[in-house]
Amino acid sequence: MSSVPPSPPGDDTVGTEPPDDEVLAGELVLGVLERDARTQAQARSETDPVFAARVARWELRFAPWLAEIAPAAAPALLWDQICRRLGWRIEPAPRAGLWQSLILWRTVAAVAALAAMMLWWTRGPGPIVPPSSSVPPGAAEPAAKPVSTLARGDGSTAWLASVDPARGTVLMVPVPGPADALGRVPELWIIPSGQQPRSLGAVSINKSHTVAVPAGARDALVPGSVLAITLEPASGLPHAAPSGPVIAKGPVTI
Amino acid sequence: MSDSTPPERSAPSAEALLGQVALGNRAAFETLYRTCADKLFGICLRVLRQRAEAEEALQEVFTNVWHKASQFDPERASAMSWLSIMARNKAIDRLRSLPARSMHTSLEEAAGIADPNASPAPSAEAASEQARLARCLEELEPRRRTLIREAFFGGFTYEELATRLAAPLGSVKSWVRRGLIQLRACLEP
Repeated sequence: MSSVPPSPPGDDTVGTEPPDDEVLAGELVLGVLERDARTQAQARSETDPVFAARVARWELRFAPWLAEIAPAAAPALLWDQICRRLGWRIEPAPRAGLWQSLILWRTVAAVAALAAMMLWWTRGPGPIVPPSSSVPPGAAEPAAKPVSTLARGDGSTAWLASVDPARGTVLMVPVPGPADALGRVPELWIIPSGQQPRSLGAVSINKSHTVAVPAGARDALVPGSVLAITLEPASGLPHAAPSGPVIAKGPVTI
Repeated sequence: MSDSTPPERSAPSAEALLGQVALGNRAAFETLYRTCADKLFGICLRVLRQRAEAEEALQEVFTNVWHKASQFDPERASAMSWLSIMARNKAIDRLRSLPARSMHTSLEEAAGIADPNASPAPSAEAASEQARLARCLEELEPRRRTLIREAFFGGFTYEELATRLAAPLGSVKSWVRRGLIQLRACLEP
């Protein structure tokens, strides 16, 4: 930040010398560069982190002016066009309201997952391959179990969890979703009321599996505790404490 | 940990929505669009002045948001600033890819579109940042001040500014660069 010397008293030579990086970054953000110069400067900020940081600082310096600009009503059809660009299917208009509803299809998916889970509980496990720490359920298992819903911030269901305090297990059933773009993995936590979260290890985003609760955390499998899922680095699991964003949570139902 | 969870029943913030979009949540993406599209369209329209072009730019902005939401860092900027900056960048890129603009739009028209009253009341923090930028701009020599503001709101290149002012290109560059150096010194002493 301090590479620009204090400006000498007004001279007009600044216009003829190539500008230093700080000024070039300002010019890029201000938008005064001609097309080729702009493209060059943009390419540089893709590969030169120091220059990119200068650009980012200029963007923030001018950001208050963007807040001044009045909104203008975007055309109604624009949303559909954006969906099309992203390759998302757009349902025919008359039923679009219902069928485009993510809440609806997530609910359908959740109900289907629940049905699959009930089958699993009554018939025993199939040959699934959980990613980590699983416990094969025994034969003497009761058929009916309460289900805890782990919801996203928008209220949609992300996982269903069935807690078995006697055996110290949690069956996790995800509503399948995309993997994290940054390569982080979902990690399950149990949070006893008023206490620190304890890791129960990684969970799958598209397969149901049983998680074995460590002996030290089994006393947390009680109503009042919360199950939460955060995105964490794939290495070092289970982690001592969460560091990433919470993507879903819900109260334990026993 | 539960403190970092966004509130579940009140309207989610743009920051929380972007966090969800980064995870591939389409419902959050649509909510973000409904919340922010008009503001961002206003920015695209201001730069491009033609509705068809502004619509194209806005589509590019939102497809970009879908793919790059994970790059948003709430420690550095508000979600609205991040989105607004992206919208202006896309609009300027688009403007530069178009054939040279017809020159009938006056500098005054371009500079005069800013109307703080037409925009929703800014947050206290945003208002203080606006005031600081305005104060630092006031400290500039009038010619530099006018040029920088016009360049920003009008999306003019150096050559366009020189043509409009009937001034030598080198002088225009010099005025703008001096202004930028002074502005930076004032904003970050």
